[in-house]
Amino acid sequence: MRFAPLAAFAALLFAAGCSSGTEFLQTPQAPASTEPEFDPLTEAELAETEANEFSVPVVYDTLANGLKVVISEDPSAPTAVVAVYYNIGFRIEPRDRTGFAHLFEHMMFQGSEHLGKNEFIGLVQRNGGVLNGSTRFDFTNYFEIVPANTLETMLWAEADRMRGLQVTQENLTNQQGVVSNEVRVNVINQPYGGFPWLDLPQEANENWYNAHNFYGELSDLEAATLDDVQDFFDTYYAPNNAVVVVVGDVDPDQTMGWIEQYFGGIERADVPPIPDLREPPQTEEKRASKVDSLATRPALAFAYHMPPRNSEAYYAMGLIQQILLEGDDSRLHQSLVTENGVTSDVSGGINWPLGNMYNYNGPMLWSAWLVHDPETAPDSILALIDAEVEQLREEAVAPDVLERAKVKLRSDLYDTIGGTYGFGRADLLASFALFDDDPARINTLVDRFERVTPGLIRRTAREWLRPENRTVITLEAAGGGL
Amino acid sequence: MLRTLLFSALLALAGPALAQGFPSTPPEPGPPLPFEIPEGTTFALDNGVDVTLVPYGSLPKADVYAVVRVGNVDEAPDETGRADLLTSLLTEGTTSRSAEQIAREAAEMGGSVSAGAGLDQTFVTGRVLSEFTPDLVRLVGDVLRNPAFPEDAFERVQRDALRGAAVARSQPGTLAQAAFYETLYGDHPYAQVILPDTEDIEAATVDGVRQFYEANVGPQRTRLYVVGQFDEDAVEAAVREAFGDWSGGPGMSQPTPPEAQSGRRVVLVDQPGAAQSNVYVGLPTIDPSAEDYVALQVTNALLGGSFGSRITRNIREDKGYTYSPGSSVSARYRDAFWAEQAAVVTPQTGPAISEILYEIDSLATTAPSADELEGIQNYLAGTFVLQNSSAGGIASYLAFLDLHGLDRDYLEDYVERVYAVTPEDVRRVTEEYLGADDTAIVVVGDRSVVEEQLAPFGGVQITTVQ
Repeated sequence: MRFAPLAAFAALLFAAGCSSGTEFLQTPQAPASTEPEFDPLTEAELAETEANEFSVPVVYDTLANGLKVVISEDPSAPTAVVAVYYNIGFRIEPRDRTGFAHLFEHMMFQGSEHLGKNEFIGLVQRNGGVLNGSTRFDFTNYFEIVPANTLETMLWAEADRMRGLQVTQENLTNQQGVVSNEVRVNVINQPYGGFPWLDLPQEANENWYNAHNFYGELSDLEAATLDDVQDFFDTYYAPNNAVVVVVGDVDPDQTMGWIEQYFGGIERADVPPIPDLREPPQTEEKRASKVDSLATRPALAFAYHMPPRNSEAYYAMGLIQQILLEGDDSRLHQSLVTENGVTSDVSGGINWPLGNMYNYNGPMLWSAWLVHDPETAPDSILALIDAEVEQLREEAVAPDVLERAKVKLRSDLYDTIGGTYGFGRADLLASFALFDDDPARINTLVDRFERVTPGLIRRTAREWLRPENRTVITLEAAGGGL
Repeated sequence: MLRTLLFSALLALAGPALAQGFPSTPPEPGPPLPFEIPEGTTFALDNGVDVTLVPYGSLPKADVYAVVRVGNVDEAPDETGRADLLTSLLTEGTTSRSAEQIAREAAEMGGSVSAGAGLDQTFVTGRVLSEFTPDLVRLVGDVLRNPAFPEDAFERVQRDALRGAAVARSQPGTLAQAAFYETLYGDHPYAQVILPDTEDIEAATVDGVRQFYEANVGPQRTRLYVVGQFDEDAVEAAVREAFGDWSGGPGMSQPTPPEAQSGRRVVLVDQPGAAQSNVYVGLPTIDPSAEDYVALQVTNALLGGSFGSRITRNIREDKGYTYSPGSSVSARYRDAFWAEQAAVVTPQTGPAISEILYEIDSLATTAPSADELEGIQNYLAGTFVLQNSSAGGIASYLAFLDLHGLDRDYLEDYVERVYAVTPEDVRRVTEEYLGADDTAIVVVGDRSVVEEQLAPFGGVQITTVQ
C-alpha cells in the first residue's frame, strides 16, 4: 500500500494492497437514521446531467460468463489504461489468514499459463507501459497504462492470468519474504507506520471483517500454503466476480470484440456471498492510545462512522469533508494550523488514505490525523476540533461556504477522474460497475452534490458527527530520534 | 515546431498459436499512434519573465506554475532550510491579502495555492477550474511578488519547521538519504538539503528570510507555465497585468556546482533494533547537459530503474531481500548523481549490497543483449509519452529543460536518442560513470548486526546525522 501520489513513473511498481467485496446488505448505520431514503435522479434530471459541459463517455456491457466490461474513450493522448478489478478485498479474507488478500495480489505476478514469473512485467515494459496492483477494502485491482496500440496485447495478458495461475512453492516463499519486507518498511520500521490507517478500523469497528489487521500478521503470512493460493484464486478470481475497464484513445467496438475474444471463454464460478459487514451502532466515544518507539513527536487521529454509501447523508458528508478538512481554507486547517499553530498539517478523508469516497462498498470511516508538539495536550486539540464540528451541528452553514465546498468538490472530482493518466477514471468506472452495476453513475455525481442544502448539512452533522460516533487514538512518541 | 513521436512497434513473441482457442503468445501490437507534445505559446515580458502557455487535456482545469531560480543551493552554510522557511511564509499573507484570504480565494476557484522550495528552483503553483485561470495567475503573482512576512506567522512557521525536522529525523529512509547527500556533497549546500540544521532554523529571523527573498527573487529569475484548458487571450492579459510591472531584482542565479568526489566510502548510521537496513549505493555522475546523459538514463532503467530491471529482479524477485528497491539519476544544475536505494531485511544487508555491486560490475564488463536493450528502450519511449500526458508532467518537463538550459530539440529528439543507444554504449556508460569501485555505500541500520556485514566493502565510518 503506497500512498504517495504516483508522480514518478520509474517508481510505479506494484503497491500491494489488500481487499474488496460487494455486499447486498444495505449497510446500516450506526446511529438510527432519520434521513429519508435518497431519491434517485429523474429521467429529466439525468438528461440535464448529460448536457453538462464535462461528461465521461461510458460503454457498458456484461459478457455471458458474467464479466462486466466498461470502455471509456479519451483521445487526449495515444495511451490506454487497462484495469481489471476483482470483487475481493482485504476486509473479507479468511479469518485465520489475515493479510491473505494482499499476499494473493503479489501471486498474480508470479506466473500464469503462458507467462512465467517476471514475464507479465516484462511484457508490459517491453510494450512501453507501466503497471501496478493494489488491495483495498472491497476489491483487488491490477492495471497497466500503455501505448494505445498495444491494448490487445495487454488484454490477452490479463485474460491469461484470469484463466489460471501457475505458481510454484518457490515463488510463494519468495513473495512471503517480499510482503514481510513490505510490512517492515511501511509499518514495523516506520515511525507512524500504520498510524492511523491500520489502527483506526481496528479500534472503531466491532465486526471482525472490518476490524482485523488488513496487512496481516506475519505468522499468518508465513503459514499460507500453495493450496490456499489455488483455493483463493478458484473462489474469487472468476469472470463473474470481476470487471474489465479500458480508458483511453481506443475504438470501443474493437475493444469490446477483443475482450469477448480473450475473456469470453473463461468459465464462471460459484462465488460465495459477501460476508455480513454490518457494524453495530456505536453508542459512546472510544478512546485508544499507542506507544510508537520510533516516533519523535506525538500524534492524534480521530474517525467518525460514515452514513451508508449513496444515501443523502453520504453526499452531505462529502461536502462536510470539504468544509472541515480539504484545503488551506478548511475550518480545521484554519483553526489547527493557521490560528492556533498546533500542527503544520491536518489531513484525512473518507476511505482515507486507501482511496476516496467513491471506491468502497460497506461501512466506512471519515478520519483525520495530525502530528503535534509534546507540550500540547491532546484534549486541548480535541477541544478545537469539537468547536468546529459543533458549529456545523448547531448552525446552518452559510450559503457561500456551501457553494465553495461544492466548487472544491467538483474540482477534486475532475482531478480524481483525470488522475494517473486516466487510471482515476478507470477506478471510478470499475467501482461503480462492481458495486452499483452502473458505471454511468460517474456522470451524475456533480448533480447529487449540488442538491445538498444547508439543512441537510446540519441534519447530517447532528446525526453522524455526534461524539458517541467517534473514535480517538493518541500516539505517544517514545523514540529518541538519531 | 514539433516532431511526431512514434511508439516503436515491437513484438515480444511471434505469431499466435492456438491452445483451446486461446493464443499461447501475445497478439502483435497495432501500428503506433502519433503523439505530439503540444507546443504552446512562449513569450517574454520586458522585465525578463518568460511565459509558456500550453493548451492541453480533456478536463476543464488548468495549472499555473511560477518557477523561480532560487533554492536550497542558495543558502549560506549557517542558514540551511532558509528557502523552505521562505516558501512557507509566501502563502501566509501578502500586502493586500491575509493567509485566510489567499486560501479562500483559491478555494473559490476550486483549487489552492502552494509554494515549495527545491534544490535549485522554487515553485508557486495552483490548479483550478478552467474559468478561473486568469484569476489564479493574478493570485499567484500577488503571492510571489508581495509577501507580507508577518511576524506572528513566522514564529508559527518556524515551530512547524522544527516539528517537521524532528519527524524527519525519525524516518530511517530520510536519514539514509540525508547521510548519502552528506557523504556525496561534503561542504556544498546540497549536503544539508534533506535535513536542515535545527540550530539554523531556530536562529532564523523574519528579517533574514526577507533578505533572502530580496537577494534571490525577482522577474529575471522567474518563469511562468500555464498548462490545461483555458482562454489564452484572457490568461495572457492576466499575466501582463500580474507580472508586467515587476522590475529590478537579482540577475539569473549561477550557483557553484559541487566538486565530484569519488572513491569507495562506507557510512553506517546506527539505528539499534532496526527491523530493516535502509541502503543507498551511488555516486556523482554526469548531468543532463552531457552528451551521454540519455544513454545513462537507458542504462539506469535497465540496471535498477524499472520493475523488470536487473537489480530489482535480483534482490526482490529472486532473493526476496526487499520490497521497494529502485535506482534513479537525480539531476541538479550542472550536477547529478546515480543511486540505488532499498530497505532490506537486516541479516541480508551485506548480501544485498554485494548483489547491487555485482550487477553494476556485470553490466560494466558485458554489454546487454540487443533484445534486453530494445525492451528497455521501448519502456522509456512509452513512459516518455505517459510522463508528458498530463498538465503537471508537461510543466515539469518544460521546467526541467529550462533549468538545464536545454532547448526544445532535446524533447523532440528524446525518443530517437533513446533508440540510438547501443548495447556497447550501455556497457561503456556503466563502466565510465557508475564504476562500482567509486560508489558510496550508506546504511541506516542496527550496527550490532550490520557493521560486520559492511566490513568487506571498506573501512566503515560510523556516524550520526547532523
